[in-house]
Amino acid sequence: MRARSGRSSIEQEDVTLPPPEPIDREQLEMNARQLDVTWRDPGGLWGWLTTVDHKSIAKRYIITALLMFIAGGIEAAMMRMQLAVPENSLLGPDRYNQVFTTHGTTMMFLFAVPIMNAMGLYFVPLMVGARTIAFPRLNAFGYYAYLVGVVFLYVSLFLNTGPDAGWTAYLPLAGPQFSPGHRVDVWAQVVTFTEIAALAAAVNIIVTTLKMRAPGMSLNRIPLFVWAQLVVSFMIVFAMPAVATASTLMLAADRAVSTHWFNPAEGGDALLWQHVFWFFGHPEVYIIFLPGLGMVTPIVETFCRRRVFGYDALVLANITTGFFSFGLWVHHMFATPIPELGQSLFTAASMLIAIPTGIQIFCWIATMWSGRPRLTTAMLFVLGFLFTFVIGGLTGVMLASVTFDKQAHDTFFVVSHLHYVLIGGAVMPLLGAFYFWFPKVTGRMLNETLGKWNFWLFVIGVNVAFFPMHILGLNGMPRRIYSYLAESGWGPLNLLATAGAVVVVASVAIFLVNAALSWRSGAVAGPNPWASSGLEWATTSPAPSYNFVHTPLVLGRHPLWDSVGPLPVITGLRHDRREVLVTTAFDARPDHRHIEPEASIWPFVMSLAMGVTWIGSIFTPWAVLIGLGMTLLVILGWGWESSRVKDAELVETEDRLVEAV
Amino acid sequence: MTTPATIEQQSLGDVSDLPTVTFGHRTLMWWGTVGFMVIEGWTLAILLAGYFYVRQNFIGWPPLRVDVPSMRIPTINLLILLGSMVPAFLAAQAARRLDTPGVRIWLLITSLVSVPIPILRWYELWALNVRWDTNAYGTAAWLLVGTHATLLLLDVFDTFGLTLFYWFKKMPVRVMSDVVDNSFYWYFMVLSWIPLYLIVYLGPRLF
Amino acid sequence: MMRAGRLALVILLGACSGQQNALDPASAQNRSITVMFWAMLVVASLIWLAVTAAFLVPAVRQRRTTREEAEPAFEVPAETSRRQTRIVSAATAGTVLILLLFLIYDFGVGRALAAHPGRALTIELVGHQWWWEVHYADPDPSKIVIDANELHLPVGQPVQIKLVSRDVIHSFWVPNLIGKRDLIPGYTSSIFFTADRPGVYRAQCAEFCGHEHAKMALAVVAHPANEFVAWLDRQRTPAAEPSDSLATSGKHVFLSAACSKCHAITGVEAYSTVGPNLTHLASRRTLAAGTLPNTRGNLGGWIVDPQSIKPGARMPSNQLESRDLVALLAYLQTLK
Repeated sequence: MRARSGRSSIEQEDVTLPPPEPIDREQLEMNARQLDVTWRDPGGLWGWLTTVDHKSIAKRYIITALLMFIAGGIEAAMMRMQLAVPENSLLGPDRYNQVFTTHGTTMMFLFAVPIMNAMGLYFVPLMVGARTIAFPRLNAFGYYAYLVGVVFLYVSLFLNTGPDAGWTAYLPLAGPQFSPGHRVDVWAQVVTFTEIAALAAAVNIIVTTLKMRAPGMSLNRIPLFVWAQLVVSFMIVFAMPAVATASTLMLAADRAVSTHWFNPAEGGDALLWQHVFWFFGHPEVYIIFLPGLGMVTPIVETFCRRRVFGYDALVLANITTGFFSFGLWVHHMFATPIPELGQSLFTAASMLIAIPTGIQIFCWIATMWSGRPRLTTAMLFVLGFLFTFVIGGLTGVMLASVTFDKQAHDTFFVVSHLHYVLIGGAVMPLLGAFYFWFPKVTGRMLNETLGKWNFWLFVIGVNVAFFPMHILGLNGMPRRIYSYLAESGWGPLNLLATAGAVVVVASVAIFLVNAALSWRSGAVAGPNPWASSGLEWATTSPAPSYNFVHTPLVLGRHPLWDSVGPLPVITGLRHDRREVLVTTAFDARPDHRHIEPEASIWPFVMSLAMGVTWIGSIFTPWAVLIGLGMTLLVILGWGWESSRVKDAELVETEDRLVEAV
Repeated sequence: MTTPATIEQQSLGDVSDLPTVTFGHRTLMWWGTVGFMVIEGWTLAILLAGYFYVRQNFIGWPPLRVDVPSMRIPTINLLILLGSMVPAFLAAQAARRLDTPGVRIWLLITSLVSVPIPILRWYELWALNVRWDTNAYGTAAWLLVGTHATLLLLDVFDTFGLTLFYWFKKMPVRVMSDVVDNSFYWYFMVLSWIPLYLIVYLGPRLF
Repeated sequence: MMRAGRLALVILLGACSGQQNALDPASAQNRSITVMFWAMLVVASLIWLAVTAAFLVPAVRQRRTTREEAEPAFEVPAETSRRQTRIVSAATAGTVLILLLFLIYDFGVGRALAAHPGRALTIELVGHQWWWEVHYADPDPSKIVIDANELHLPVGQPVQIKLVSRDVIHSFWVPNLIGKRDLIPGYTSSIFFTADRPGVYRAQCAEFCGHEHAKMALAVVAHPANEFVAWLDRQRTPAAEPSDSLATSGKHVFLSAACSKCHAITGVEAYSTVGPNLTHLASRRTLAAGTLPNTRGNLGGWIVDPQSIKPGARMPSNQLESRDLVALLAYLQTLK
């Protein structure tokens, strides 16, 4: 059995492999049946509430996040309608302030991060050849925590207690004195729920990627999609605690029990909020953006029919961007009275971070030049990303200048920049990813004709909606205003922006129609409709509950392109209990077998306990203690379930089970 | 219709001889435990940054008319915490030997030793000699001690839970690895307290 | 086609002039900022064009049909890889160079702007939800002027604006003259600039500060130096005594109704600093922090029902007899 390993500067040692033994069809079918019995979920509502299948959970995340995208889009449409003409009366100040706050909070916390996490939670186990994710119950809990946040925010909005201090909730405006009532408390708790979900996803992705890779998938053979998710997961681990601290341990405390973190009269500091929030906030945008970059590589490789140029450079660029994104946060505070020498350091960092991203773009362009591009919808969205994101990246470099930023900060110029980078850099690759991986998730292809309409309307709509905002910002239009005077002259460009927004709405509608129609009646897809190279394409579409009948053996960076003939696999995991293979962190050598949990109600119950704790805390601080008590009981139940002796465990004798110490 | 069996495969190895119980960094749970340590440790670090940030707004520390924190109860609790690492360590050792009676004994002792810890923690909060709502100094000190207290409570509770399970339930062999991880987390809980104790209780007396 | 071109030109020209426009500099400082912006824009546009061409060319020229089966993945010859490595490395080096040049240029501009001008006229702005209090400092306390929602300054003389807030974070932004600066409770910050062109400009709060953040603007009037001195002297005079009976009864209305609870007028027994100082109300161009032109009709509407113009503003409605309102307006219009 010969195999070509991926070209790299760190060459994999050629391992002497035993002679291959083909596995016959009947054997495979028997294995598949047994595995199905072991891994499938119970039926009915109970099955729905207790599933720990990473694919089911990830699909729920994706659908919920897309609903949030629509909700955030409706909020955006409402704002664009209000701002289309001067002195409009569609939305008064109170309603408008709730709408723009909810738009930002929804898009950042309830759409962008969850959907990028969800793509990782769905595809990382498949791409690394694992049966499931490392901590299935933690994964399910993360989804329910997120769902609690979604429901809580929107119920509050409809009850007219939606947050209204901006998604950034600056103090003292968001504090107890200037935002009485529960609006900002809702914001703080939504942040708590979503940040817990993100941390759960991050820990899961890190451990799955480091310890559950298929044998032979050493670190330098990990797909770039997985690298991006790994880097982002580490970023989440270091960024989310900052926003958790800020929203729960500082803001909610100031509001509920009169602490003085932000009260200048008692030694507190309004700028402390900005530092802690933006320490999270800047990495947050890279947490949203980097997974998008991770999606670009497999799409470009597949549709240019060649292995990507510069794998090592791309990996290092991802890591560098992730790391240095923690050193930029002060560029959100250039208009505040912090020392100018300090500000200059952040200017330098904010400009230089363009370099790794630039390197990634150059590598993809090189891949296209020496490739044979097929312009499927997925590939078109990659081109749309290059066209749109680069504009945002360049205005970002401009904004890195303290001097220029002091004119552009808090104006529509920044609104334009942030939408260019987030929509261009994250949403466009994400849409491409949908077209690319929809067959793997559903077993059917999305329609390419509708896809092209989707694409063109999206690119045109986004640019028409947001480009004029650069001009509006420099023409004096601040952000977060519900109305403006006719004599400002901002009317025509605002109207143009609204027209662009309408086109974007049409584009998204086409996408939703495409997805809905194709789900049931799209062209049926085989395991690998695009002739792509990753392990996720080595199983059926959609994948069975156990992902692979046998664990793949990886012989290069592009498993399905690097080996010829039948898929090389490693057998030996049991089929009568949920066994997964754990491998070593660097070289992915098989290490031991681990038993994963079955369907469980505890993640759902835990999310209820947590919901009681944090939602209750808005009304009384004692809820935290009661909720804590409930949580401890749930932990007991969860632990009880973990320590159940399962029938299949009694079969083996002790010395077979255990490694000599 | 493609079924999983239609994908042609050839076997190049077998893993059925691999063990199912291992310890330490080889296990998934260890990595998850480390993940939570990093998250919680980083949260404490951020709170510490906030503590030092608000300090810039005061001339004296503690501020005028606020007493320095009392050190008696915090020091007692610190000693108990440090001491509790011993039975925790011995429980982990017993687990690695797969010594169920040993695990039972040492988990029980760890649990008993840790009973006073959360109780004393309540008094440690009041030993700060300032309320959380008096000024930003009080706020920062309470939140630091209080956040660590939630870590502590969870850890003590987890240990009680494991102890109860080992005394009243037949436990699968693989949970021995969780006993080792529990002790690992215990060390983190204790060691992360040391810098907080020094900064919050000793610090105002020195600076 | 021609019409579209002309429309674009009109928009472009409109984009570069105006009274609330960063691209229409009226100060030495903003001139250098604007020049830097145009330079950055030109370079950025060229880079964007180059990158777009770089991916469009292969996408179009080398494309394969999407209808047929995909060809198998292929290996790229080593020579091609080496050449591409050289090109990508060169592009990266070029990126680094451009960024470093940007940095150096930006630091130069920044340092020049940060250089303190020495003697400067000091004006203090106090931010409130949702109006601006303006103090013209003077070593002689009797010469301090307190005004609201309008800022006057001399052309050709460095001006230092000190910024404090009484409630939440606001931001002072007069785009024609200088970049913005936040007003943060607990902090005093300051900016300085030198206007070099007389004119009336508009500033607006640029940090979300609650309900009526959108309607917290400020007229900024740059006078030739001698006119400024004359204006300031006029401001130092207390309110004129009303000469006719209507205005006199209007003054009584002011003192007996709720007005004096929030508004001060120098020379009259009204000292409250809760709301804007009205001593020279009639000389202002706008009302309600730049929301309405200052006309008799608008003033009447504002007094009677501020909530319909600026919902959430701290000023309550005032139900006045129309006779009283007429008198009050007559009085207020004498406050030049």
